[in-house]
Amino acid sequence: MKVTATCQSGSLEGNSKTAQAVGALLCCLLVSGCKTPKEPELGEPLAELTPEQQAQFRAGQDVFDRVFTPETGLGPLFNSVSCAECHEDPVRGGTGDEVEVHATRFTSPGACDELFDKGGPVIQQDATELLKAIGILKEQVPAKAAQARRSTPPLFGFGLVDGIPDSTILSHEDPYDRDHNGISGRANRAIDGRVGRFGRKAAVATLFDFNAGAFPQEQGVTTPLSPVEETINGTPVPPETDPARDPEIPLADIEKVTAFTRFLAPPPRQHFTNFLDAHLARRGERLFAELKCAVCHVPKMKTGPSPIKALDRKTVALYSDLLVHDMGPALTDICLGQALPSEFRTEMLMGLRFREHFLHDGSAESVEGAIERHGGEAARSRDKFKALDKKDKKALLKFLETL
Amino acid sequence: MKNLTSLIAVLAIAALTVSAALSEIEQMKADLIGHTMGGREKTWKFQSTDQIKQLVIKSRVEDGRRQVCLLALQLQATNATERYAAEAKVEYWRTPTGWKVDHVGLLSLKKME
Repeated sequence: MKVTATCQSGSLEGNSKTAQAVGALLCCLLVSGCKTPKEPELGEPLAELTPEQQAQFRAGQDVFDRVFTPETGLGPLFNSVSCAECHEDPVRGGTGDEVEVHATRFTSPGACDELFDKGGPVIQQDATELLKAIGILKEQVPAKAAQARRSTPPLFGFGLVDGIPDSTILSHEDPYDRDHNGISGRANRAIDGRVGRFGRKAAVATLFDFNAGAFPQEQGVTTPLSPVEETINGTPVPPETDPARDPEIPLADIEKVTAFTRFLAPPPRQHFTNFLDAHLARRGERLFAELKCAVCHVPKMKTGPSPIKALDRKTVALYSDLLVHDMGPALTDICLGQALPSEFRTEMLMGLRFREHFLHDGSAESVEGAIERHGGEAARSRDKFKALDKKDKKALLKFLETL
Repeated sequence: MKNLTSLIAVLAIAALTVSAALSEIEQMKADLIGHTMGGREKTWKFQSTDQIKQLVIKSRVEDGRRQVCLLALQLQATNATERYAAEAKVEYWRTPTGWKVDHVGLLSLKKME
């Protein structure tokens, strides 16, 4: 008996009812397969955006790419001339090779001075020619401050991360390690008390807040929400070095960039097609759970209700709990908000395979090297990883290649 | 008797003035709720009037359509011990239903000792 089924005609040949049913089922599967929306490639917008939202994504992309000059608002102090200058690898919205300098002062447990009156925690590393002409080449790290190096985080999937309810993040907290697993994550807070999630110390509450601060702090571009230039370690910039009128961009530009980053799809997962790699990756995923990596690198969370369909109750495979954890003395650098110098937010592992440098400062050249430098609450997992035999270690790393 | 009447009148006017100023402050606090100023680690979202520990209107400039107020604020998050001194620029726009805050700009921020 011969049974054929095509999407186009839906025709069936054959007499038996069973054959017809099988054929119909095949056809349905094929039709539904045809209708499955294609997973966005890296750098593409989320599926399910309306035409209007796609237009917002493109408009935001234009602002993201905009190269500022002193006449259009750049500086006088800055780190980069555009968002895309840093977020560029392997595509727009990704990571970059720039490493920033941040500084704060840790005064006592629970008391962190973010040095807002000394120019803030971001130390700008470059200056416009007008500022250089008066002898100021960059901002300095204030006296008695601790400093840290920060690599550029990739932004893929950040809109979904932004949509995760605070209650979901807080549900993973275990500040007193009541389950006795040696892991005691807690949420950091923004200075206004909201639950933090963005930034390597989770001191920023929302994607909008992060973008609103990136213009003045990274590019020296004033906005209606930050209408005065960043100071030079607390001293206002000389007016003659700042030719553009404040605010240098309208509120709408922050909203546009936020739309771009909000609608930027998460990185696609890698699915191995050969049996050996697929088998190894599955074994590695089990090890990832057994070694308790997944206690902090929580594989999935769900966004809350949203009027935007593409963000409404969606699962995001972020591989982070968005909490801060003690990572041990070897990684200790600065405090930020309520995060102690040794505490870092669990790095999101989505898109890990697209990165070339690892850890918050980009100092690890390989995933394995990054794992081996975990300490503090992650020390037990690290030691178990180091104790794995060669085959299991390879399996775990193969799993991480799927992210 | 005449002196007493005058004293009562002066006190009443003073009380009314203080009350009007207080209600203006309270109104301004209420106007700020829901607005965000600054950005990144230096963001303050006004979530409740309880977080505004002090508000002083330093200046107010108004034309027919727009009103700009410079404020000195003391801010403290709920359940937090740190207090911040901030200066903010609030821009109001006239709408058919009255003055509405368009945006709030953070001019300076300092952690208080």
